Amino acid sequence: MEGRLANAWRLTVNDKNFIKTALLSEIRIDGRKPFEYRKISIKFGREDGSSEVQLGQTRVISIVTAQLVQPYRDRPKEGMLSIFTEFSPMADPSFEPGRPGELAVELGRIIDRGLRESRAVDTESLCILAGKFVWAVRIDIHILDNGGNLVDAANIAALASLLTFRRPECSLGGEDGQEVIVHPPEIREPLPLMVHHLPIAITFGFFNNESILLIDPTHNEEAVMNGRMTTTVNANGDICAIQKGGGEGVPQRVIMQCLQLATSKAASITKQIKDAVEAFNTERALRKIKRHPTSTGVDVREKQNQ
Amino acid sequence: MENKQSSSPASFIDSTIVPGDVVLDLSSMTNQTIKLGGGLRQDCDVISAMKAGTLRFSKPNKYWIESSQKRYVPCVEDTVLGIVVDSKADNFLIDIKGPTLAFLPVLAFEGGTRRNIPKFELGTLLYLRVVKANFGMNPELSCTDASGKAAEFGPLKDGYMFETSTGLSRKLLSSPTCPVLEALGKKLSFEIAVGLNGRVWVNAASPDTVVVVANAIMNSESLSTAQQIIMVEHLLKNIQ
Repeated sequence: MEGRLANAWRLTVNDKNFIKTALLSEIRIDGRKPFEYRKISIKFGREDGSSEVQLGQTRVISIVTAQLVQPYRDRPKEGMLSIFTEFSPMADPSFEPGRPGELAVELGRIIDRGLRESRAVDTESLCILAGKFVWAVRIDIHILDNGGNLVDAANIAALASLLTFRRPECSLGGEDGQEVIVHPPEIREPLPLMVHHLPIAITFGFFNNESILLIDPTHNEEAVMNGRMTTTVNANGDICAIQKGGGEGVPQRVIMQCLQLATSKAASITKQIKDAVEAFNTERALRKIKRHPTSTGVDVREKQNQ
Repeated sequence: MENKQSSSPASFIDSTIVPGDVVLDLSSMTNQTIKLGGGLRQDCDVISAMKAGTLRFSKPNKYWIESSQKRYVPCVEDTVLGIVVDSKADNFLIDIKGPTLAFLPVLAFEGGTRRNIPKFELGTLLYLRVVKANFGMNPELSCTDASGKAAEFGPLKDGYMFETSTGLSRKLLSSPTCPVLEALGKKLSFEIAVGLNGRVWVNAASPDTVVVVANAIMNSESLSTAQQIIMVEHLLKNIQ
């Protein structure tokens, strides 16, 4: 028990008071303005469908995989989308290995609601053979470093990996057309998922009895804030989901103000994700051109030796 | 090459050492008292290194290994910044970023008796001195200097505390003054307390001075002197 006490992260009384007093003059401890986001960097791994997002000090990776399964009885023509979160103990001293805690489950639910309820990913295009075979897409989100505002970073990572994921192409075959043939990526080019729009989660923190509002709280600010609200909106202005946790009640005009702010931020973040995915796709296409071995070089040398 | 390998201690000073390196051969240095600082261990006749880092020497006879980490290994006579975690009958339990919690005896204050035991609420920040730091035991701290006077130790009021690596804390405490602090001190007035355990506390009259100083110090770790001065000028221009 003492070991855990020694390793826990603590906020001093001085810090709590300082963060609150500084916010009264609209000053944040990392020098940002109240409605300014930290720098977002989106990187991709070698495999299709893996992305790493860094939001200031927060780091999250997301991996997308897919499997052919039997669909649910009441939805025979739809594929499945599921999100799993893993809060690695290296991210924060309070994360324990094993079963996901409350925070992990809440994060998974917010992202899941944003993608599923708004029908961002087209699940009907994942159906191969109605009632028998559909694609079940699984998103695994791993938190590597907790610098505050995990929800937003995890959401961006999930979206970036969904956009770069490619599933193998299938065709129906066999004697009665009931067999599914999955073509390996070398034979047939794998297909991207159909993503209609990008729901972006924007988190707000409330301080001082909900009279001070902040976007993108850091770890220290999260420990001091009274309540939080995550709004998932897309660049078109549609509201996909809202989640408010903790703190006192918030008047309606504050919520409307948050939604307006969120829409403007969502537009710039959407553009950033799309640019990063574009760059990755171009680089992947270039890599594929080099993938075919240029056998002519070797032959010429052999002929010369002869 | 062969001349360098004849292990004269001067050849290892200020060079990078890895654990296991034999740093000093005592058989060639009789009748000398040598003080060993952190990271060095005596094995019969040789002194070998336990940490990776740079070997430093200060006259007349102190050797130690300097390396920068995020975790702190408690060492006697270090000044550290600790956070109160709990208070028991005889001790306060203090978190100093080490492997275990440290004890601060309730009487270790100037003029401390059983009748005037200070009351610290959980989360109070204290400036302390390490009195005992043995391997495997909880370190012991004190709020007085060696002669029993208060001398700036004790609770710190207001201000903002942030964490750094141990190397940066040492740089901030070195003399001549660290370039960041000098450049900031020319334009701003502020007060800082640096703990060798990788914690720094800043206080100033206005919050934005505190924020600028904190961010300047956090950014200055890997910058050279000239870069630090440029960075500070850049930050100061933004707030004025």
